[in-house]
Amino acid sequence: MFRFILTRFSLIIPTFIGVTLLTFALIRLVPGDPVELMAGERGISPERHAELRAAMGLDKPLMVQYGTYIADVVRGDLGQSVVTRTPVLDEFLTLFPATIELSVCAILFAMIIGLPLGIIAAVKRGSVFDHSLMGISLTGYSMPIFWWALLLILLFSVNLGWTPVSGRISVMYWVEPVTGFLLIDSLLSDEAGAFSSALSHLILPAIVLGTVPLAVIARMTRSSMLEVLGEDYIRTARAKGLAPFRVIAQHALRNALIPVVTVIGLQVGVLFAGAILTETIFAWPGIGKWLIESVSRRDYPVLQGGVLLVAAVIMLVNLLVDLTYGILNPRIRHGGH
Amino acid sequence: MPLLDIRNLSVEFSTRAGTFRAVDGIDLTVDEGEVLGIVGESGSGKSVTSLAVMGLIANNGRVVADRMDFDGRDLRTLSERQRRKLTGKDVAMVFQEPMTSLNPCFTVGFQIMESLKVHENMGRAQRKRRAIELLEQVGIPAPESRLSSFPHQLSGGMSQRVMIAMAISCNPRLLIADEPTTALDVTIQKQILDLLLDLQKDRGMALILITHDMGVVAETARRVSVMYAGQVVENRPARDLFTHPQHPYTGALLDALPERAIGKRRLPTIPGVVPGIADRPRGCLFNPRCGFVQDKCRREAVPLFPDDGGSARCFYPLQVTGGVAA
Repeated sequence: MFRFILTRFSLIIPTFIGVTLLTFALIRLVPGDPVELMAGERGISPERHAELRAAMGLDKPLMVQYGTYIADVVRGDLGQSVVTRTPVLDEFLTLFPATIELSVCAILFAMIIGLPLGIIAAVKRGSVFDHSLMGISLTGYSMPIFWWALLLILLFSVNLGWTPVSGRISVMYWVEPVTGFLLIDSLLSDEAGAFSSALSHLILPAIVLGTVPLAVIARMTRSSMLEVLGEDYIRTARAKGLAPFRVIAQHALRNALIPVVTVIGLQVGVLFAGAILTETIFAWPGIGKWLIESVSRRDYPVLQGGVLLVAAVIMLVNLLVDLTYGILNPRIRHGGH
Repeated sequence: MPLLDIRNLSVEFSTRAGTFRAVDGIDLTVDEGEVLGIVGESGSGKSVTSLAVMGLIANNGRVVADRMDFDGRDLRTLSERQRRKLTGKDVAMVFQEPMTSLNPCFTVGFQIMESLKVHENMGRAQRKRRAIELLEQVGIPAPESRLSSFPHQLSGGMSQRVMIAMAISCNPRLLIADEPTTALDVTIQKQILDLLLDLQKDRGMALILITHDMGVVAETARRVSVMYAGQVVENRPARDLFTHPQHPYTGALLDALPERAIGKRRLPTIPGVVPGIADRPRGCLFNPRCGFVQDKCRREAVPLFPDDGGSARCFYPLQVTGGVAA
């Protein structure tokens, strides 16, 4: 197991270097140069221009620039926002809990609903339930996320008035940030009603963000389960006289989960991509909204650092998923044959 | 009273192409402590018969029988829950593919102890002791350390031994072994077969040995049923079957044994394949492949004719027509 972790971890390093190259190139490929963009419509004098370029290190050869960039990244220095003048890392760390909170709730929603639905569809293969579930999940998978979000807002927030339209919590409440996760912080604070306010703000964005993963998980669980249910060892389990529930929930599910966990891991990338749209629509103060704003403000350090950090998080989650794999699948934990 | 008494058992599967009758009105009886061999080619309905006895036929299959008694209890009228109490306890099964029949995600110990947990009222420590004992009985070295092994760490022969340990864990009165040696190396086949027979003798349990290998039957069974296309075509004590087969199919199977073809340039074979869902012939199901076929065989379905010592499903049994089997 230790060797497995080590090999898997060492694979992260080249991937990370690749990501730094990409984010580095991203900035350099933008037409015009950052200084001109920062200067805006009025423009600045050539002397000031050169001075700023030198200050930002843009006058040095590309290799040297990349070297400095990497050295900074390794030290944890991702530069500072051109707009707010605060370090990129600090902004990221402040906003990140909001995105985690949203993403975790979205993936939990997707798993809690998707896994049982997929299992039932597989067990009742060919039934009306199976066919309708697969049809609905295909719709969910192919639906534009912003359109779905607007539909839900229209129904639940505007027409029924059940949930707020946007934000993380009602302005009536002020909650001391302890963990950064509002659901937890609001429970810790003594503001009555803060928790239910935070929760009602979270429900719609979490459903919107969890829809695509839900569809993917349900479909994957179904097909993986179908495959496993046809295996010889399922027949063996039934030949022992085990109850059908035990055969499905223990013998089949344990095996069927292995590919499903991989897919859930891959959904993390989808979640971040979806978070950009979801957070923008629901005015959710997280990483997605932050990145979109950095694009429109042409805040290149934020964009560069933000993309790098998001990529790092995705890599980390995938590493965790691979480790879970080792727990689920003894063939990996104990090496091959 | 026989331990297992089955009359006119049929198993039908509804498929897209229509209803397929995999087992067609067979009778089977097994006495307490007896070894019954069932032989036949692939597709002759041997496995489906055993799955029907175990109650493991999938949802698209339909099992009907005039009688289906185990130890005097009518299996047809038992509820699913009552049936499960028998399955794995009094009737157990060993399958053809040991490598895929064990669940790759659970340890050997867990899988053996699981049966004990479900059927026997045993504590944890007791179950563990029993599992070690069982592994010892099936000839697995260092059984205690093997409890924590996963199936992928075992060889095919080892896996089959574990499967056997699992099957006998609750002291079944009937063990069904469906081609238990087919997937194994020739050297291991003999060991597993001997193990099964030793366990059968020691415990006095009944054993149904399903195989397509006439040689295996010769070494093991007292009584043999030959199956073809879902029907029993011949029943006979093993000794008589090998010396005086009555059905041409049995004769042809025996001719195909390498040890009976010494001095011949080619090993005799049976041309064609077992009829499937679309090409079931009229009359005797074996008639398109039979060397002694007559007009009557193509017209009329054949009942099972009793003779001295057994029965054969043939209008013109080998000894009477003077057909030469060997």
